[in-house]
Amino acid sequence: MNNFSLWKFSPLAVLLIFTAPLAIVLSSLFGQYTENWSHLYEFVLLDYVSSSFFLVIGVTVIVLIVGTLTAWIVTNYNFFGKGFFEWALILPLAIPPYILAYTFTGLFDTYGDANNLVRSLFNLDDRVTVFPNIRNIYGAIIVFGFTLYPYVYLVCRSAFINQSKSMKEAGKLLGLNESQVFFRLGIPLIRPALIGGLMLVIMETLSDFGAVDHFAVQTFTTGIFRTWYGLYDIQTAMQLASLLLITVGVFYMIERNSRSGIYSSSNSTFSPNYEIQLKGTKSSLAFLICFTPIFIGFLLPIIELILWAFEVNLAFFSKKFIENSLNTIGLSILTGLICAFLALFINFSVRLEPKSVIKRMSSLLSIGYAVPGLILAVGMVQLLIYLDSFTTKIDIVLTGSLVGLVTAYVIKTYALANSSIESGYERISFSIDDSSKLLGSNGWSMLSRIHAPLLKTSILTSVLLVMSDVVKELPATLILRPFNFETLAVSTYIYASEERMLQAAAPAIAIVLVGLIPIILLSKMIRSSRMVQKNV
Amino acid sequence: MRKLQLILILFLFGQVASASEVNVYTSRHYDSDDALYEEFTAETGIQVNIISGKGSALLERLKAEGDNSPADIFFTVDAGNLWRVQKENLFQSISSKKVLDVVPSNLRGPNDEWTAIAKRARVIFYNPKNVSADEILDLSYEDLADSNWKGRIVIRSSSNMYNQSLVASLIANLGEEKTESWAKKLVSNFARTPQGNDRSQIIAVANGEADIAVANSYYIGIMLSGAAGEEQLNAAKKVKMLFPNQDDRGAHINISGAGILKNAPNPENANLFLEFLLSKKVQKSMVDNSFEYPILKGILPSDEIASFGLNFKQDQTSVKDFGELNPAAVRLMDRSGWK
Repeated sequence: MNNFSLWKFSPLAVLLIFTAPLAIVLSSLFGQYTENWSHLYEFVLLDYVSSSFFLVIGVTVIVLIVGTLTAWIVTNYNFFGKGFFEWALILPLAIPPYILAYTFTGLFDTYGDANNLVRSLFNLDDRVTVFPNIRNIYGAIIVFGFTLYPYVYLVCRSAFINQSKSMKEAGKLLGLNESQVFFRLGIPLIRPALIGGLMLVIMETLSDFGAVDHFAVQTFTTGIFRTWYGLYDIQTAMQLASLLLITVGVFYMIERNSRSGIYSSSNSTFSPNYEIQLKGTKSSLAFLICFTPIFIGFLLPIIELILWAFEVNLAFFSKKFIENSLNTIGLSILTGLICAFLALFINFSVRLEPKSVIKRMSSLLSIGYAVPGLILAVGMVQLLIYLDSFTTKIDIVLTGSLVGLVTAYVIKTYALANSSIESGYERISFSIDDSSKLLGSNGWSMLSRIHAPLLKTSILTSVLLVMSDVVKELPATLILRPFNFETLAVSTYIYASEERMLQAAAPAIAIVLVGLIPIILLSKMIRSSRMVQKNV
Repeated sequence: MRKLQLILILFLFGQVASASEVNVYTSRHYDSDDALYEEFTAETGIQVNIISGKGSALLERLKAEGDNSPADIFFTVDAGNLWRVQKENLFQSISSKKVLDVVPSNLRGPNDEWTAIAKRARVIFYNPKNVSADEILDLSYEDLADSNWKGRIVIRSSSNMYNQSLVASLIANLGEEKTESWAKKLVSNFARTPQGNDRSQIIAVANGEADIAVANSYYIGIMLSGAAGEEQLNAAKKVKMLFPNQDDRGAHINISGAGILKNAPNPENANLFLEFLLSKKVQKSMVDNSFEYPILKGILPSDEIASFGLNFKQDQTSVKDFGELNPAAVRLMDRSGWK
């Protein structure tokens, strides 16, 4: 009994700390409403909402098509380059959306490098523009679609791998062709995982400021910042952010509720997947489908960044590169470990007591992913100051310390860790818990000796996903960091905010390089999970 | 193990106070400024600690930190945010005679709460190929509403603070009603939906996508210097810069400025820091690298900027107006459909 209440109350206490900044943001709803509300309502709110809505729909379409299709192809078919694509398809995760936006304008503006190249290749007149303008909402959709689809790809791939061969055979016996197997069997069965991945994409799209600001697309989030920076009205800005948070929260809950009961963790009739060998046109087509997203989301921006960096500022790599990289790596590892541990701890507690309030609070923490980083930072600053007022009357200890920064990162990225560990837990049968209880393994020993080893892959995935996100994080870092503390994203911003893209290229490449470390480890896991599956 | 704990604590809470330092919250971030700060440390032995970020965000951190804030100096790139800190009553008056002697009173706070460190003008760029001398004779911001500019003007989004300051200055001079009808006509003259930064407006004019652009003066300096690459250099050579409203109040001027905070832990060092920024040597090196206009008399801006003329008339509209009218300017631009 005591043991169980420990598992009930300690996660509650931890969650209280981590959800406090979000609660501070939400508490703005109970504050005053300024006259700016009627102005927003009358002139711009509808625009903000509709463009955010359109953006989310567009991004959803892209990530669903690209993510599911590529995952299906590399899981079920064998073709030229398959071994490469299996892991390379997640490379775009190393590119922050705002950097893809910067490089796209460098490439596709009227006098961008891509247009210039085509003009010189075909000897065209200076006024001919080959590529359409991308500084608009369609450009933003492409940017988010091709940097974020790996979240969908990852969940789909691991779900497809677990789909049994016999299921597909049965489908074919019943007269389904290849594409019908995909649409009528493959996709419906992985729906929960798919929606989970999609939620991550949507939350990140909604919280982004950098890319949409660069394209001058007026989304809900740019509206939040315009209200803050332009109308000098942080109160209304926080209220807008709260509305965003609540909307996302509602969708999150709906998704959760629709999920329950769908799963089966029984693998008894599982027979391993086999791959169909593709030849000729089909093989080329598969190659093209997998290559295109990597090209748009990874190769193209990298090429442009390298071109820029060689024009100027290679000195960055000698001067600040090491220090800023170490800062970035240190923070991301720390955050990754905390997030994974927290998610493990909380999911374990929820497993013991499925109906507890902890589950709801864990969901609240998950939607922290949708809060624009800077708004979260403001909530964070207020919390830290409050805590500081307890510790000492003379000095500020927590504010401007890395504790605040890491806490903000945890709130911002917990969803990534949680989604992976949660889906890992769904695959562990409850009968294992029962057996372990019978054998006298409870609480901590069940977690550390039974669950943790079973969840090894999920835990590692969650650490790596969080790491790759922290490397890219900018707004919260800017405001919460200690004096003279720079991460790679900060160095990039410092140049980019002054419109010096050429100088920004070197630190941007550094972000990608450092971001590749967790991505490559993740890729390795994908490959080895494949091996394991083959040996089942 | 003990040692490890200590290292961890230092890493997490690692603001080891050095005996002599000055803590600066700044929304300016130029490499050249960093070099100047290093020079300050070399000269005085005072360590410069920096946090850079958006002015509004830094202000929010400052407000939350209250009496316990470690910040000595607040350094902005626009007048609006200086005014906000002043209004929050977070600045102390600058007492340094060295500062007060060299900065004209209209470039300081009403009670010397802050001082300008550098100036920038928001000016008009045109493409001489597509614009006749007649059309730009005595051109003013107000003239941009004329119908002969239909489809010929580019300017960036109204979310940009320099546009907000410009419109605030128009409200201060023309009143809200006239400014609103001006803004509506201006929007109908846009060559494209506002997009990109100041430089992309200049590039659009260079390329003939539009005929005139409104942008900050220093960008043309950066482009002409070649620091931004060959293509921007070529684009910059194709355009000319023009100071508007030379017949009346003058071109719109914004400032980058700084003040000492009321609860500054190191006020003497902060004073020394401001004096340093306003010394002849530093002003010259600053404007040569950032292409802004200097505050000190007798210092010339960079060659690239000087080539567009030195003795232009500058709008004296007070910084207080920029700050106070900024929200009104944003609402006005919303109403005018200025994206």
